Amino acid sequence: MILLWLLIVPLAASPLAFFLRRRPVMEVVNLAAFAILLCLAATLGFQVLRSGPVSLWDGFFYADDLSALVVLLTSFVALVCSIYAVGYFRQDERNGIFREKQELPTTLAIPKLREYYSLTPLFVFSMVLVALANNLGILWVAIEGTTLASVFLVIFYGRETSLEAAWKYAIIGAVGLSMALFGTILTYYSAHGALGTETLAGLNWSVLVGNAAQFDKPTMRLAFILILLGYGTKAGIAPMHTWKPDAYSEAPIPAAAMLAAGVLNCALYGLVRFYILTSKCLGPQFASHLLILFGLLSMGVAVPFILVQKNFRRMLAYSSIDHAGIMVLALGFGGPLGVLGMLLHMTFHSITKPLLFFCAGNVQQQLKTDLFREAKGGLIHSMPLSGAALLLATLAVTGAPPFSLFLSEFTILRAGFGGGYLVLPILFITFLVAIFSGFLIHFANLVLGPDPGLPPAETCRWKKSSVVGLALVVIVMGFWIPAPLFRLIQGAADIVVNRR
Amino acid sequence: MTFFQDPEFGDRIITLMAALVLVLQIAAVGQRWLASSIRIFAVQSFLLAAIAGVIAYFNHASHIYVVAFLTLLLKAVLLPWLLEGLVERIGIRREIEPLINAPLSILIAGCLTLVGYVVAESFYHPEEASVRAALGHNTLAVAIALFLIGFFTMLNRRKALSQVLGLLSLENGLFLAAISLTYGMPLIVELGIFFDVLVAVMVLGILVFRIREAFDSMDVSKLRKLRE
Repeated sequence: MILLWLLIVPLAASPLAFFLRRRPVMEVVNLAAFAILLCLAATLGFQVLRSGPVSLWDGFFYADDLSALVVLLTSFVALVCSIYAVGYFRQDERNGIFREKQELPTTLAIPKLREYYSLTPLFVFSMVLVALANNLGILWVAIEGTTLASVFLVIFYGRETSLEAAWKYAIIGAVGLSMALFGTILTYYSAHGALGTETLAGLNWSVLVGNAAQFDKPTMRLAFILILLGYGTKAGIAPMHTWKPDAYSEAPIPAAAMLAAGVLNCALYGLVRFYILTSKCLGPQFASHLLILFGLLSMGVAVPFILVQKNFRRMLAYSSIDHAGIMVLALGFGGPLGVLGMLLHMTFHSITKPLLFFCAGNVQQQLKTDLFREAKGGLIHSMPLSGAALLLATLAVTGAPPFSLFLSEFTILRAGFGGGYLVLPILFITFLVAIFSGFLIHFANLVLGPDPGLPPAETCRWKKSSVVGLALVVIVMGFWIPAPLFRLIQGAADIVVNRR
Repeated sequence: MTFFQDPEFGDRIITLMAALVLVLQIAAVGQRWLASSIRIFAVQSFLLAAIAGVIAYFNHASHIYVVAFLTLLLKAVLLPWLLEGLVERIGIRREIEPLINAPLSILIAGCLTLVGYVVAESFYHPEEASVRAALGHNTLAVAIALFLIGFFTMLNRRKALSQVLGLLSLENGLFLAAISLTYGMPLIVELGIFFDVLVAVMVLGILVFRIREAFDSMDVSKLRKLRE
């Protein structure tokens, strides 16, 4: 029953926000919905830990440790983003973004906010559905749903550049997902002989995983390649990453953070489900080689763009491409350690990335630019809180110790060396160091330095509390992971390496 | 009227219609008028619905009738109607020029068809050559060719609406693959996919309209402000 509530809450919040007229009510509805969602997700996590997988309607919905983890991360990201969004849009309104023409006092704030507050619950609904759908076809439908719900968030500001970004996002996403659909059809076909079923259960992951060894092997091979290309496009791994910098820099900050920390997990979740089937059918070798190739390629592609980046919003997108690459690479290294490293990385990344986005958003709203060149540096003098948090987030995202991403990257490194690879982990370290230095140089120049004499920024309570709260979580997670959370991650890793 | 029961006959009909679908796809590659491209898509979808109907009839699989009917309704009637409405509203009737000219495009489409046959060959296991496998063989090749040619059309066209049409014909290829390989996915999955395609086309349509308003053109090559 809890699975149903997890879907109903965001689905109900969407039309509710659509019919509301006053802004505070919309904000409250949105916050309440995501707070309830987070509680439900935590309950689901405990339930799965206590009594194993939960399913509903003959296994139409199904949640094991892996799904529970993704649902938990998605709802966490949704909640922090909606807290930040309240302050962010109020500032936007003060900056006059929503005014039809600069001189006129009339404001479009309410319709715009209604658009945002009714689309984000739909967006979150599709992300939760991705994790809860047992049927691989429904999984595909839900991932396509995340694209459709978020296209209008990308054109939120209605600039010409936003249209361009949205067009790229929609078209590249649609083509990528059509490949994933082809992969899903081929998986169904390769299972057809083994299962001999034409009922709905024939596409259920929990059914397929038991029979994966008897699948038709050549078909499954082609299917996995198509799935990797398809869901890889959604995760933004190179060379299908080109939509990412545009979409991330054009969407409003809270929506971009949800794209970076939510959709990324969902796409990788889809990939992991197929990875399990493929490695059962063909052995882990075949999938590993492909994953390592694409993972390293994504990290490598991100390096030069981060080093010479002029725009800090786009920089975040390249960081996201880099992290997608790291996770795919970790899955490719495989073994219990590699998979554990990947899932730890997914968890820590979802907690850390929104903080970086929020700080970048604060800076952008204060300076009204997203170019490093036009920001004169010395931000710490005019915005001490956001400046300090931005430095902290930079260090955390690039995996500097003591922050938690260091832990997961170190685990992945050990998995790489332990798996008998030598050159690949060294390449991995090289890319990490290059990205670390690129990030540090750019953001240190932005935050530190002599006072350029800007007036001190006023940051409202909502923005402050979301930034401070999230920064505290990031710091604490560097030293202490709650035991149930770690058991959930461990359980999910066991499912992937098939020890259950 | 015994041949109505003969699976051999059904197989031939399906192969014939699949071949027609392929011919239409290649014709669409050389087509420059948007309205004709939309009509070609409509006829193609109609043929796909017919293929689904024939498969449902010869295999007594009632859920495929639903799929056939939905294809007819959505892809052969509703989507072409929506797209033609869009063409009317934005007032652009023809592709200015594709990146690669028509004869060469058609040649490339022919090569892609060959690729489709080569790929499909690897799925063909003669030892289990029942009617099912034989049916899958020919139509699967056509499906892969449709997919590849759709992909090529999207790369080759610069008008936003032509890219949408390319995407739709690519999805038609997927539909043909699903129906010929496995007699369709489970019904609820098919319904979900139909819903998604419909919403995707509406979303893309709104984008096309907005691009036309903002740039006074729907030439995608004008969208190049976001650069490194």
